[in-house]
Amino acid sequence: MTTTEDTRAPAPRGPRHGARVERAGRLAALAGLATPLRVAGGVLTVVGTYLPWATFVLNEGAYPSKATLEFFTVPLGVTGFRLHLLLFGVAAVVLALVRVPGRARMLRALGWGVVAVALVNGVWITVAGGGLGAVAAADGGVAFGAFVALAGGVLLLVGAAAGGLEAAPVWQWRFNPWLERLLLLVVFALLLVLVAAVLTSGGQGSAANVYAGAVFLSFLGAVGGFLAALHASGLLTWIGVVSERHRGFSVLVLLACALLLPLTSAGTEYWMTVAANIGVYAATAIGLNIVVGLAGLLDLGYVAFLGIGAFVAANLSGAAGAQFGITLPFPVVMVISAVVAGVFGAIVGSPTLRVRGDYLAIVTLAFGEIFVRSAQNNIGGLTGGSNAIPGIPPVSVAGTAFNDEVVIGGLRLPPGVLYYVLIVLIVAAVMLVFANLKNSRLGRAWIAIREDEDAARAMGVRTGPIKILAFLIGAMLAGLAGAFFAHKTATVSYESFRFLESVTLLAAVILGGMGTIPGAVLGASILFVLPEKLREFADYRLLLFGLALVLIMRFRPQGLVPDAHRRAELAPRAPDEPPPTSAVAGERS
Amino acid sequence: MLSTLLSQIVNGLVLGALIGLIALGYTMVYGIIQLINFAHGEIFMIGAYGGLAMFTYLLPTFVQQQWYLALPLLLVAGAAVSVAVAVAMERFAYRPLRGAPRLAPLITALGVSVALQEAVRVFYPGATSALPFPRIFLEGSYIVPIGDGVPIRYTGVLIIVVSLALAVGLQLFVDRSRLGRAMRATAQDRDVARLMGIDPDRVIVLTFVLGGLLAGVAGILYGADLGFINIDIGFQTGIFAFTAAVLGGIGSIRGAIVGGLVIGLVKALGGQYLPGGTAYDYVWIFVVLIVVLVFRPQGFFGETERVRA
Repeated sequence: MTTTEDTRAPAPRGPRHGARVERAGRLAALAGLATPLRVAGGVLTVVGTYLPWATFVLNEGAYPSKATLEFFTVPLGVTGFRLHLLLFGVAAVVLALVRVPGRARMLRALGWGVVAVALVNGVWITVAGGGLGAVAAADGGVAFGAFVALAGGVLLLVGAAAGGLEAAPVWQWRFNPWLERLLLLVVFALLLVLVAAVLTSGGQGSAANVYAGAVFLSFLGAVGGFLAALHASGLLTWIGVVSERHRGFSVLVLLACALLLPLTSAGTEYWMTVAANIGVYAATAIGLNIVVGLAGLLDLGYVAFLGIGAFVAANLSGAAGAQFGITLPFPVVMVISAVVAGVFGAIVGSPTLRVRGDYLAIVTLAFGEIFVRSAQNNIGGLTGGSNAIPGIPPVSVAGTAFNDEVVIGGLRLPPGVLYYVLIVLIVAAVMLVFANLKNSRLGRAWIAIREDEDAARAMGVRTGPIKILAFLIGAMLAGLAGAFFAHKTATVSYESFRFLESVTLLAAVILGGMGTIPGAVLGASILFVLPEKLREFADYRLLLFGLALVLIMRFRPQGLVPDAHRRAELAPRAPDEPPPTSAVAGERS
Repeated sequence: MLSTLLSQIVNGLVLGALIGLIALGYTMVYGIIQLINFAHGEIFMIGAYGGLAMFTYLLPTFVQQQWYLALPLLLVAGAAVSVAVAVAMERFAYRPLRGAPRLAPLITALGVSVALQEAVRVFYPGATSALPFPRIFLEGSYIVPIGDGVPIRYTGVLIIVVSLALAVGLQLFVDRSRLGRAMRATAQDRDVARLMGIDPDRVIVLTFVLGGLLAGVAGILYGADLGFINIDIGFQTGIFAFTAAVLGGIGSIRGAIVGGLVIGLVKALGGQYLPGGTAYDYVWIFVVLIVVLVFRPQGFFGETERVRA
């Protein structure tokens, strides 16, 4: 740590600090109390951690894994969500007292994390315990844990806002390149551990493990608060800058980390299957991202291309229900699936020559519905109709079927690990295609069309073929994923490719952030992990999904990982920034 | 067979009148705020469930048994529920997004559609499967003596009469009344309308009220005609209705009705005479939709410049 030049670009203190306090509006009167409020919030959070959370042991077993009494025997022995709360509370107190750049935003993030964790667990205990009696009062005691922690979180939020939110600091440290690479290695390894922890937290939801959903949601809230705090400290942005500096290295390490997932706690058959399914939808979402995110053409029937790829692969697999009695090697099948899907993509995309905007969305929706209807009716005997096409043999190379377990030396890897490796490679390839296209002449033409089609045409972009090309390439990527999907799931049915799946894919792209790779992967992961995790809420899944779509559009239309350009267009502007030039007109998608 | 053809035409016209009624909501909303309100189909569905709830839980038995008492009450109930949901939807989902990029309201509409459908499925008792809808109008058919006989259901007659009456009423309202003029002005240019002293927000709410009203009535008529309802009817019928609105020309009231009738005929006759039979009748509607959007996006009665989305 020799050359830590603390050169944050705009100093967030001084006069700008005062300007920000005005943004706090109604809370401005509390500005003087900011520090006490923050400390109180942190302290209350810690206190809440150690208070009892439930007045009795729930039917399915003690929910907070350390029950109340254990406090006396193991004073600091908190685990699970209470450990998260403890850490958040302590961190909040430290941040309230120590002057760190960007600390108000960090405190706000911590506050949201505390609120989320307290709400999830409090509500869950209340619901699972059969009413307020589970947390409020009963014979013997009052379980105030949830209330106190929630109050702590709210105080943190108020305190953070009252002191005025300064901009997140921008760090410009530079170290020895090898030191930076080492740092990246550590960061990505931690990321791998975090991903594995998120994936497995709560365990596999089932009748025997009814806490899975609550534990998972609580952990997700904690991780969200933690990452948001890191982001507010400017460190995540700095890591991003560093990894951009060592681009090739980062990509390789990330790929290696992804391939190492089977060696972590997530290395069981179940999680490998979940991860492979996420991979399928991530690859498809990246394909959709070309059409929607880059070219700005809204496609509401996109999952049809995944379906076409899957049905092509199923028919060429030698399954009993297949129309053709031939068996081709998997790589060839993948290419054929991609090509067929691409041809259909070009057909579906051809109306873009004449139709724009919302009408195009409806045309793609109509194509999607035609596909589903035809598949449902077993068109040409190709789709198996309501019987689906079952019994698709697994991919196998040199006598090893991909759904077998793998033993390398003394290392025993769970069944499905080979599929996982395969989908990681496919997703990596799809990412490579996307990244290269985005920065190519073609990608710039797509973005130009997205921004203003008439202007793009005036600049000499041949809009017609280029728009069709977006559909064609996007569909090919989905077809590729479809071929994998067919072999992985062994059964292909039209039910996997309904309108709702298209909406979910679109939501994944938008939730993650349009036009970015991490966004599509993150969005697909969230939207396809959540239903897997929240099986006990399965009844409310779609309801929550619909509401979430509305809320995302309302509060964060730019997504979780916004594209730099999009961010300028969609994000609410700070008052002292100049307005971005193209934002006001409202882009025509 | 002449009688088969004629009875399919009758079926098509009945379905078409219903679709036209829903299409009016699409065409008005799109005409004013250029939003494909995907959730409008769910408004129609919720109207049907609202009427069913009224019938099941509120009406005393003697009212249930008299169709001339039950029918008007159910129509009012269905319309009221639909209007309430439509207004809430506009207020909480769409209005905050005014001025946002076009993608945002469209995706919000999808979200609202999914959420409404699921809300009914989760919270309405027994809605996980199809529910029987009470017979609130004369049962049976009048047989026109042509060939083997062409049956015309009494409920079908009701649907056609009510749809046409409401469409004519709406046309008169939009053409003649002050509020109607405000609607047309807002559709033409919202900013200029504001300068003329019209509050666009109120006009937009009025649009959703009218659309919800028609959709609620349509929901009740649908249930009365088919005898059962389920939560999927909104999405599917909604897409057909949107197709009808585009076919007739977005913004045109008679266009919506004519478009609805054409869609109804395509479904009935396509299911009867085109290859694949009824299994593919939906496909023909979507084919019509694509062909119309690609080759005549302004529809039958639409203005050309309005179409450029």
